[in-house]
This record gives sequence, structure tokens and C-alpha cells, in this order.
Amino acid sequence: MKKHIPLRLFFVTLLLAGFGQACTDLEEELYSSIDGDSFLSSEAELIAALGAAYTNLYPLAGNGNIYSLQEVTSDEIVVPTRGNDWNDGGNWRRLHLHTYGPEDDRIRDSWNFLFQGINTCNRLVFQFEKVEVENKAAILSELKALRALFYWWALDTYGRVPIITQFDVPADFAPPNNTRQEVYDFCINELESNIGNLSKSNDATTYGRMNYWAAKMLLAKLYLNSEVYTGKTEWPAARDAAKEIYESGLFDLEPDYFSNFAVNNGGSAEAILAIPYDKVFAPGFNLAQMTLHYGSQNTYNLQEQPWNGFCTLEEFYNSYEDNDARKGSFLVGQQFSSTGEPILDDGAEPTDPDGPPLNFTPEINELGPNALRQAGARIGKFEYELGGTQHMSNDFPIFRYADAVLMYAEALWRINPNDGQALMLVNMIRERAQVDPFAELTAENLLAERGRELFSEIHRRTDQIRFGTYNDAWWEKPADPSDHVNIFPIPQNQLDNNQNLTQNPNY
Amino acid sequence: MKLKVDYMKRWVFFIAAVAMCNFAFAQRTITGTVTDAQNGDPLIGANILVVGTSTGTITDFDGNYSLNVSDAATTLEFSYTGYTSQRVEIGSQTVINVSLSAGQVLDEVVVVGYGTQKSKEVTSAVASIKAEDFNQGNVNSPAQLLQGKVAGLSIARPGGDPNGDFNIRLRGLSTVGANTEPLVIIDGVIGASLNSVDPNDIASIDVLKDGSAASIYGTRGSSGVILITTKQGKEGSAKVEYSGQLALETVDETVNVLDAAGYRDFSQRVGKGTDLGSSTDWFGELTETGVSQVHNLSLSGGTAKTTYRVALNYRNVNGVASGTGFNQLNGRLNLTQRAFDDRMRLSANVAATNRDADLGFTQAFRYATIYNPTAPIRDPDNTALGGYFQQDLFDYFNPVAIIEQNSNEQVQKRLILNGSIEYDLLPGLTAKMAYSEQYDNDLNDTYFSRESFWVGAGRDGLALLKTTDRFNRLFEFTGNYEKNFNKLNFKALAGYSYQAFDNQEFEIQGGGFLTDAFTTNNIISGAEFPNGLSRNYSYRESNKLIAFFGRVNFNYDDTYFLSASLRREGSSRFGENNKWGLFPGVSGGVTLSNLFNISGVDNLKLRAGFGVTGNNVFDSYLSLSRFGPVLQGGSGGALANDPRRGGNPVYFLYNGNYVPAFGPISNPNPDLKWETKTDISVGLDFALLDYKLTGALDFYTTTTKDMIFEFNVPVPPNLFATSIVNVGELQNSGLELSLNYNVISKQNFNWETGVALTYFLKTDLVSLSTDDFDFGGTRDISNLGAPGQNGTPLIRVEEGAPIGQIWGLVYEGISGDGQWIHADLNNDGEITNDDRAVIGNGLPDFQLGWSNTFKAGNFDFNIFLRGVFGHDLVNTFRAFYEAPDAITSYNILESSNDIANLTESPTFSSFHVEDASFVKVDNATVGYTFRLPEGSSFSNFRVYVTGQNLLTFTGYKGVDPEVRFQDAGNIDSNAFRINDLPSALAPGIDRRNTYFRTRVVTLGVNLGF
Repeated sequence: MKKHIPLRLFFVTLLLAGFGQACTDLEEELYSSIDGDSFLSSEAELIAALGAAYTNLYPLAGNGNIYSLQEVTSDEIVVPTRGNDWNDGGNWRRLHLHTYGPEDDRIRDSWNFLFQGINTCNRLVFQFEKVEVENKAAILSELKALRALFYWWALDTYGRVPIITQFDVPADFAPPNNTRQEVYDFCINELESNIGNLSKSNDATTYGRMNYWAAKMLLAKLYLNSEVYTGKTEWPAARDAAKEIYESGLFDLEPDYFSNFAVNNGGSAEAILAIPYDKVFAPGFNLAQMTLHYGSQNTYNLQEQPWNGFCTLEEFYNSYEDNDARKGSFLVGQQFSSTGEPILDDGAEPTDPDGPPLNFTPEINELGPNALRQAGARIGKFEYELGGTQHMSNDFPIFRYADAVLMYAEALWRINPNDGQALMLVNMIRERAQVDPFAELTAENLLAERGRELFSEIHRRTDQIRFGTYNDAWWEKPADPSDHVNIFPIPQNQLDNNQNLTQNPNY
Repeated sequence: MKLKVDYMKRWVFFIAAVAMCNFAFAQRTITGTVTDAQNGDPLIGANILVVGTSTGTITDFDGNYSLNVSDAATTLEFSYTGYTSQRVEIGSQTVINVSLSAGQVLDEVVVVGYGTQKSKEVTSAVASIKAEDFNQGNVNSPAQLLQGKVAGLSIARPGGDPNGDFNIRLRGLSTVGANTEPLVIIDGVIGASLNSVDPNDIASIDVLKDGSAASIYGTRGSSGVILITTKQGKEGSAKVEYSGQLALETVDETVNVLDAAGYRDFSQRVGKGTDLGSSTDWFGELTETGVSQVHNLSLSGGTAKTTYRVALNYRNVNGVASGTGFNQLNGRLNLTQRAFDDRMRLSANVAATNRDADLGFTQAFRYATIYNPTAPIRDPDNTALGGYFQQDLFDYFNPVAIIEQNSNEQVQKRLILNGSIEYDLLPGLTAKMAYSEQYDNDLNDTYFSRESFWVGAGRDGLALLKTTDRFNRLFEFTGNYEKNFNKLNFKALAGYSYQAFDNQEFEIQGGGFLTDAFTTNNIISGAEFPNGLSRNYSYRESNKLIAFFGRVNFNYDDTYFLSASLRREGSSRFGENNKWGLFPGVSGGVTLSNLFNISGVDNLKLRAGFGVTGNNVFDSYLSLSRFGPVLQGGSGGALANDPRRGGNPVYFLYNGNYVPAFGPISNPNPDLKWETKTDISVGLDFALLDYKLTGALDFYTTTTKDMIFEFNVPVPPNLFATSIVNVGELQNSGLELSLNYNVISKQNFNWETGVALTYFLKTDLVSLSTDDFDFGGTRDISNLGAPGQNGTPLIRVEEGAPIGQIWGLVYEGISGDGQWIHADLNNDGEITNDDRAVIGNGLPDFQLGWSNTFKAGNFDFNIFLRGVFGHDLVNTFRAFYEAPDAITSYNILESSNDIANLTESPTFSSFHVEDASFVKVDNATVGYTFRLPEGSSFSNFRVYVTGQNLLTFTGYKGVDPEVRFQDAGNIDSNAFRINDLPSALAPGIDRRNTYFRTRVVTLGVNLGF
């Protein structure tokens, strides 16, 4: 018996060790992320944190949210159902027909996009307020101005959204809707009270950032659409804001319209606020995939086969005069490979009047279900990089100087329909496009000119509502029975998650 | 290709190697008769074994045997299924007659958590399957051994992908979020990988089905526990065993698409489609007869102090899809040593597996479905694309080119080291210390050729290397105490368990190659690495599980039994506010047949149990506030900024330079904890008709609360639109019946039949809400997807309703002008999303396994039928390709002829939901055991032929009617899929990546020396 005592001791020791503190330690060890408490301890980390506010913009011009929501509901872009392709539960046709509902994908995802952006700004305001930073006031103002940009889109699309400015809210936080007037007032106040802290530079230090001029442009947008948002016009305020940009001397029209949309369009003289897309560093802009035909892969030697979706309406295409330089915004006719061979569509339908040669026709035979594969003029305004990936490197203009010029003209014209400077400004834009000047301005020709100049830049729906044509009938779309469709429904999942939210009228 | 090993050469080599192992001893002959003690009938096929050796024989039709034994032999063991074994000293006897008594089942050893019990003492629902009852044939995974054998255990692998995993589900669904697969324990190593043990090395598998048994495994017990015990050496002279198999696998069922003639005929009728002039059977081009071989060689033996068993298992498996399969070598060493007058017992196990797999590309099947059957395979002029015929249509690629031009391989390495010391401290008191380490490594190696129109050509070749390392170490310390007080037997167990996991992975992926010569072997030559278009990431996580546990067992007079256990366990993954959980289990039983004398009843035991088990959080750090690079473009959700989910980092343009952008990784949840499952189980074990009929009837009802679920949450207050939270309640109940009946037990004929029945009473989602999180009643999930059917959810998740509701429009017909007619359920004159209804359920009502074993002379015959009833499947092949109008670009299903006048696009409805009830002749084996002549150097010699998946009876029109327990989402266009969490809330979807259904014929031999 005795000789086994050391062994028994050994076991007893182990048993005690087993109950010791070290063996009940359940702390987690992080390897691939930083503990939240120790983040923001260096200047580089502060910059990286601020970056998260801007990277939230990158999905904007993809096919998932605001771009699709604003463009496909307008009269300039359509996504026809081509047999099996792009049916997607009727999502795309409902956007075109204005029969969208609270469960539509784009309506759900756009909300997520906007409030992700808003919440990140709120979080960074909360975090930056607690640390020592140089230019703290400027950074906080920049974040608030960026938040106002997201809120402007929310105001424009959903209207009655909750205004949330706090990050440290309780877990059961369930904010109710604010009125559209309140959201409008919030945007104006935020911008007016923060614009003074923003940089007035327009150079590499502010490119892609919310500087003074971007904020001013956003104010101009808000004032110009004030009647839609609040029922009350603010033409003089719109005029003054646009005028300040026009007269700043910092911006100019590019001699070549298309240099605004080139692969290397960074730092364009017209850029007031751009998303600095890059196929490596800042991905998300996938217009080539969205609009081009499968066979167009050979035209641009694209890495991946495009999806053959988005195109323009024939009527919109025909709104350009033949000599309008901007008519190059579309790809029509026979398509050629990068080596100059005509491309054949291997899957051409026997019913396709053009047969196998890949030929984009402005005419689209139907909205669905059997739109021809080759039908529709494609979006060719942004240069497609040879050998491009799914993600384009062309910067996307959120605000462009030509728009500021047209807005300035519109505000002057709204105040005085015979304003000479208004006509001069619009003709400046027309001159660059190599078309004859207008003799006078009318609601029709002003809206049409904005359409031609700003095609595919996420302005058309807003403009159509402001000019009162959004509820009209157009190709394959009857007139809307009611203007309740001028704001989108609150997404169903948001209503499910927040009992205090109510649906917009008539949804 | 890599797997085309010359199998005949290896086959010959093994036989030769085996034949050389030939031992000779001085011999004598013992004869005798084995009879039934009760009625004196001879027992046919009873086993007689020289203890400590592998020498043995079986009795003939008259119960007679004759056995040559060496001079060294001292004891014979007589055994017969259902009877108590007997050992007889040989001494100087030459004739030994033995009569055996029925009832051995009650003394069978059943493995339970941290110990064993005799089956008569078991008070929980535990199923124990011994090696002789395993499924036979081309069995490459331990899961296959059990398929259909255990009531309540569902095992499915739709299709015949040799590299596919089996889905294992015990007693239906007990969670909707976290892990749905049972915990696997191999020789005490908790959480071991099933692939680390070769099916041939398994002695028994025990399945802990209810909570009272599984609660000793705490946070990992909720989905049941499977305990695997490997074969050990036995005292005696060296025993060499060999088994070999040659299996031929053929295609049983593929997707029925139009052949070339059918396509021409159809396209002429509808005036669409292009005749390209050839006739190609695309499925035929992708498949071949899969020839597989398996060789197992083991050496075992030992002395009174030391026993050992060494096994080598080689598998060369080829699937029916050309170029798929694996080569696997597995080795195992089990060693035990006794010391200090047997007071100390040491054991050591080492198991190593290396599997070299060719995974192939299941995408090729999808393209074979839609590829024009009049297209040629090759186009010699198309040199840029490797001489294959290709067309520029959306999501349309020559399937033969896919599998011939590209490669997708994986090397799996598994290593388990396992040792324990057990020491008898005092009479009745034993202490045990066990330590194990487990290393798993997967290396994935995929290359898409520069000439591959699919994926590779657009990127000048694409190489992907990914390695995943999983390591864990387990330390356990247990003490056992046992004491008898008159008729009361008392046992107690106490223990401590510490398990630490460390997982690491990295991946590099990029293209831009000058040549295909390097594939993945010189990845730095790719231009996408310097130009930034490659995608590379690394990730590491660790976590710990720590537990204290104890159990007491009382046995009064072998009649009254009580067992109570408790585990207190904590996981580092739990939130600060909930680090530790308590998991109690109590069960009791009474042997009624000892109290009352019921005629015809040999044994009747009533048992009942209650247990609480948990399910751990599936990932680390979800409770913490963490920051890291902002990622976009991945699969999104609560873990969008986790690099394993496919996203790419995005950068912030700061003063003209792109700099990293950092943000939060996930919504921190400091309340995060385990799921809690409460289980009540009542069972009745019985033996009737002199133990000819034995069985068990079980009822269970479980309630799972605090399920770990990715919940939609508002932003703000949250950082992301989904959070990982504990919510909801799931109720699940069912009935299980297992029966074994020895129908005929005659001199020259024996027939045993066994049935395992499971009836799923309900699987209801009571709630997915808490006070803080309101699910909102319903949510529609699992999108049908591209092409053209995005925004088409297939499953309705509804609080207060059964799990697995298939959701969609109700099909009524096709109109004269070729339009769908769907039911206008809300009578508003329009067909909208509001007209959708429940149109099926993906979970089964009932499942059945029925085995029959016949023995006639030296022949044995076994047939096993398996059926699953009452589940529906969404046939997504039909939902996409049963489309007369789609013949333009794509081939379509033959069944499109049934709806030839349809001109509308495919629209999902009840038309595409089918009852997938089925019965399969899963396994049939004919074997012949040779009567060995005296003096033979072999101790046993058996040959057999097994057919697997021989016949399927089903009304389902798709490839395989097996239950789809979970959904991993649509396989989208040419995307190369990154792993997503499959959803258990969406059973019943037959996605377009299902492998072919196959049929396997196996020729096997068992040899013992």
C-alpha cells in the first residue's frame, strides 16, 4: 500500500490544480480584430475610423439599392424581363410600373444602406467626441454634413423617416416616424450650422469628402425640391446656394462631356462630390455588369460575363438630337469585339428581327416576360475599362458642376420665367453638347435638358417629381392612379422590427 | 488523373502480403454440440472461439462443430446472438457440449458518457450498435454504418458524391440556428472528426438519444451524442485479419433533360432553339463507372499485461463523376498496459488519416442540364479556349470543358493522440486522467485554366489555395467510486474537463498567369497579386470549454434504477453576463418483470428521464465589441466584416491616397449564451417469447429555448442589421419503436428481422421572439435565385407553426394561351405575393428501417429497406428548367413536354413542390462463409456481394428524394461559392447542385489468420 502514496499525492495535487483559478479562465483572446476598448489609440486609427463613414457610400451605384430605386422607377432606365433573366419575382417590373410594395428587395435594401450610413456617422460623432483629436470641430461637422446627405436621400425616397442623431441609445430604442417637414428642417439646420466648419478647399484634401461645396450643393438640392418635401417653395435660397458654387471659380465645365465619366476621371473640374471608386481599393460600381450584354465581354475583354439587364427607354433615347454629343451616352447598333470582329449572339431568338449579330436596338419589344436579349440601348456614358473587373474604377459623381449650373438656371427661371441668365446658363450646357441653343426655357425643355445632361446620375426621379411628370404614363406604364407612389413604402422588415414606425399613406 | 492508381496491382499485392502471414502450431481437434438450454434445440451458427486467439469456428446445421486448436489453447468461448456467452476450460477434453441460455442482451455493455453500463441498468434512451450489425458494402464513412439502424437517427447524403458529407440528425430538429449535428466522441475524445476513424476499426457505436443521457456533455449535448469505440487487442496470440472490397458504382438517376432527338423535335414544334448538328449526351460524357477498392489489415493480440491492435486502412474511391474520388490511408494503434498488480491501467491511441481528394465541380452537372444536346463537345478551331465548343450565353459553359480543364483538390489530414492513466486508489475508488490532442488540416487547391471559358479565361487563369488548421487539446480528470450495500449498488463519478481549441486559416486567390504550367504551384507568377486584384486573407480564433461534472447511479436488486448527473460548463464564447451554465439530468427505471410474473414476458422495463442539454455558440467573439477592416461584397449579414465570409476590404481616399477603413465587426452581444434544450423521455424495453422478440418503445418531447439565431435588428440602435442573439422556442416530439424478432430458428435456417420506426409527432417553432427581439410572426426566406427568380422566397418561417413550411403560389393549371393559372386566394382579381400559401413541408413525418438477416448453412443473406415518408421537396430543376419557352438558349427538362403550351417564364408555385416519400432497397448482401478444412492456416474466410441503393420507389421526379435537412442557398451563376451558414429553418429544397443518385455493387472478402 505504502509505496503508492506518491502516486496518490500526484493525483490529489492535480485535482486541486484542476479547481484553481487558471483552469476556470474563460477570457477570449483576439487575433484577427482589435478590442473595441483599445481602438482609436493612434492617428492612423482615427483616419481609418473616419473612413468607415465614407466607405458606406460605395454600394450607392451598385445594382442593390439607391441607384436602382431612383433610376428604374424613372423614365430613363428600365430592366426588362428577358425570358428567364431578370424576372426576380417581378421586382424590376414593379419598379417600372410604380406598383412597388413594402417587401420589394430594392426598397428593403435602400433603407438598410441609408441607415447604415446614418448610424456610422452617429457612432463616429459619439466616438470622436470622447477622444482628443486635432480639428475635432471640423471632423464632427464633416460627419454631420455626410449624415445630412444620407438623410436627404431618405427624405427624397421614404419621406417620413425617423431622425436619429444619438448612437448610445437604449437596446429597446424604437424611434417613431418624423414628418417629411421635420426631416427637411433637420437636414437644412444640420447643414447650415455645420457648413462654416467645413473646408472650402477643392483639391486632393477634399476630393471624395464632404467639404463646404458639397454641403452647399446639398443645400441647393434641398431648397430646390422644398416644395415637394414641404409644400413650400424656397427658390431664392436655392438660387443663392447654386450661385455661390457657380461663382466660386473653383469649378468649370470640362470641354469634353465624357471626360467626366472616363476611367481616370478623378479630380475632374466638374466634381463637387464624387465616390472615388477603384477596382481594387474602392469596389462597388458595377454598371458594366448591370447593363452590358453577355457578348460584350469580348468588346471590353471583361473578366466576367455581364448580366444583360439595365437599358434606357426608347423615348428617352430619342429625346437626344442626333448631333447631341451626349448621345454617345448609349451603346446602340452592332457590337464589335476588341479586335474588331462583329460579335454574334449565340443565343439569339429566331423571333429577333436582327438575327444573331449582336445589335442593340433602342426599341424594346416588351417589358416582359420575353424582351429580346439584344433589345435596348445600353448605358455607355461611363467608359468601360479594357480588361475590367466586376468593379469599375470610374469615380461616380454624386454632385457635378453641370448640375449646379442647371439648378442655378432652374431657380432663376422659377423666380422669373423670362430670366435671361437662366437661358444663358442652360445654353452653356447645350453648347458643350454641340446642340443649338434654346430660344426660351419651358418646364418641358428644362426637364428634358436635365435628363440628357444628367442621365444615369441618380437625379431623374427627383426631377420628374419636381416637374410633375412622375405620375404620367410612359412606355408600358400606365399613369399612376395616385401620387402616393411619390414616396416609397417603409420596408416591411423595418415595420416588423420597430412597433413605433407607421407605414406611408396608401401602402 | 491523380486518382487513377493501378488498383489491380494493389489488390494483388495485398493478397500476396496477407498470404505470407502464416503461423503454424501443434494442433488437436475438439468437437461437440451447442444447444439451447431451454428447449435443447441445436443452435446453428453459434460461434466458438479459442480465447486469446482468433481461432474459431461456427456450428453447422445440427449444432455440431469441430475445431482444431493448438496445444497452447486453454479456454473456449461459446457465443450466440441473444444468448449469454460461456467459457469452458479445455483441459484434456476433446468433446465439449455446451448449452447456452437466452438473455445475453441484458448483460451487453453499453457505452454512456464517461463510462459504461450493462444494458439492464440503462435508464435513458441509448442505442448500441455492434460491429456485426453495421451496414455492409461500400461504406466509407462511419455515418453510413448506422443509416436506418437506429430509431430516431436520420442520416442522409443526397446523391452519390464520394466526397460529400452525411447529414446526421437525431430525433428531428432541436435547434434552428446553431449546430444541428450530434456530438461525436471517439474513445473519449470529445468533438472528434468522424473522418478520423475508419469504419473497419469500429467495434461499436452507442447513440445517446435523450437529454438525461446527453446532459453529462453539457453545452454540446443538444443534438445527441454518438460514442464510437474502436476495436482493441485481446489477450492471446497474434491475430491477423484482412478484409478487402472492390466496388463498382454506376449512375442510377440523373436529371432527365431532352436528348438531341427530343430537343430537335421540341424545337421544331415550338419554332425555337438552335440545332447545332451534333448529338451529345452531356451527362454520359461527365460520368463513368466508379471503381473503388478498400483494403484493411489489422494485427492484434497481447499478453495479460499488454494488449495492442494496429490497423491500416487504404481506400481508393472513385465517384461516378469523371475524375472525382479520393485516396485515403488511415492508420490506428491502440495500446493498453497494466501495471502495479493491475491497479494501474495505461492506454494510448494514435490515429492518423491522410485523404487526397479530387472534389471535381458539381457546377458541371448544372450546365449539363442546360447545355444544348445538339452541341458538339469540341471545336478544334477554338484554340483560345482549349479546343472546346463554347457559346457566349449567360451562365452557360461546356460542362466537359469544366471538368477536364480545371482541377479542384483537397488534402485532409487528421491526427488524434490520446492517452490515459487509470489508477485504483482505494477499494472501489478509481481515478483517471486523460489527455488528447486532435489536429485537423484541410488544404484546398483549385485551379481554373487560362483556357477555361468558365471562370479562368476572363482572369488569365485563377489559382486558389486555402488551408485550414483546427487544433484542440482535451484534459479530463475523473474519479469513480463504486460500493455495494446488500442489494444496493452505488456508483459515483466526478470530473473536470478542459478543452481548448485553436483554429487558423488562410487563403490566397488570384489570376493573371502567363501559363497553365504551374497551376497553384507558383502562385507568385500571377499578375493579380501585384496589381491588387487577388483576394487573400488570414484568420485565427481560439476558444475554451471548461466543465465540472458528476453523476450518481443507484441499482437496487437489479430492479430499481436511478441515475442523476450534473454538469456545470462554461465557454469562452458566451457573453460576460452568461459565462457558465448548469445542465442536470435525471433518469430512473424499474424492471417490471422482476416484480410481476407476466406470462410470455421475459423482460419488461419502464424508464423515464429528464435532462437539460445545451448547444454552444457557433463562433467566437460574438459577445465582444471588436474593430477591424471594413469589408464589402461578401455574404453580408451579422458577420459581414469577417474575412471568412468572402468580403473584400475597402479603403478610404484620404488626401489622395487610399488608406484602410476600420469599423466594427459585429453587433456585440454580452448576453450571448448557450441554447437550452429540455427533454422528457419515457421508454419501455421488452423481451418476449423467450427473448425471440426484443425491442424498445420510446416517446420524447423536447423544448429548446434561447436558440442562437441571426436576428434582424434595427440600425440604430445596432451597428449592423442583424445580430446573433438567443431567442425563441422550438418544440419537438416523437415516437420511436425498435423491434428485433428471431422469426425462424431452425437447424439449417435462421431468420431475424429488425425494424426501426420513428414517427415525428411535431417540430413546431413556438416563437422566435423575446422581450427585446420581436420576430414579427413570419418571415419568408431561402430565395430561389438567379437566373430570373430572385425575390422568390421558398420557405415561410412562422411563429406557432411547423418548421419547414414551403411557401408559394398555388398552381391551378395553364390557360389556353399558355399562361400560368394560379389560385387567387385573396380574391382580389390579381395574382400577387398575397396569394401565396403553405404548399408543402420539407420535414418527414415518418421513417422506417427494416432489416432481414437469413442464414442457411454457410450462406447468409441480408436485405435492408429504408423509407422516409411525408416530406416534400422543392424541385428547383423543374422550377427553372421545366420551361418550354426557355428552349431558346438552354436545354430543358424532358418533362417540359407535359406543359408544352406554356409560353410564360418559369414562375415558382406548388407545381414544383413534390411529395418525396420513398422506400429504398438500401442494402442487400449475400455472403458465404467457407468451412475451413482441418489444419487450414485461415481461421475464417468469408466472401460476400453487397448491393447498395439497388431500387428506389418514389413519386419524386427529381434525382434523389432524400430529405434535405438544411439549405445552403442558391448556387449563383459562375460564382465560386464561399461557405455560408446553411439554414436549418429551410429544409426541403432540392438545389441544382445535387449529385447523381448512384448504385453500388461491392465484392468483399474477409480473412482471418
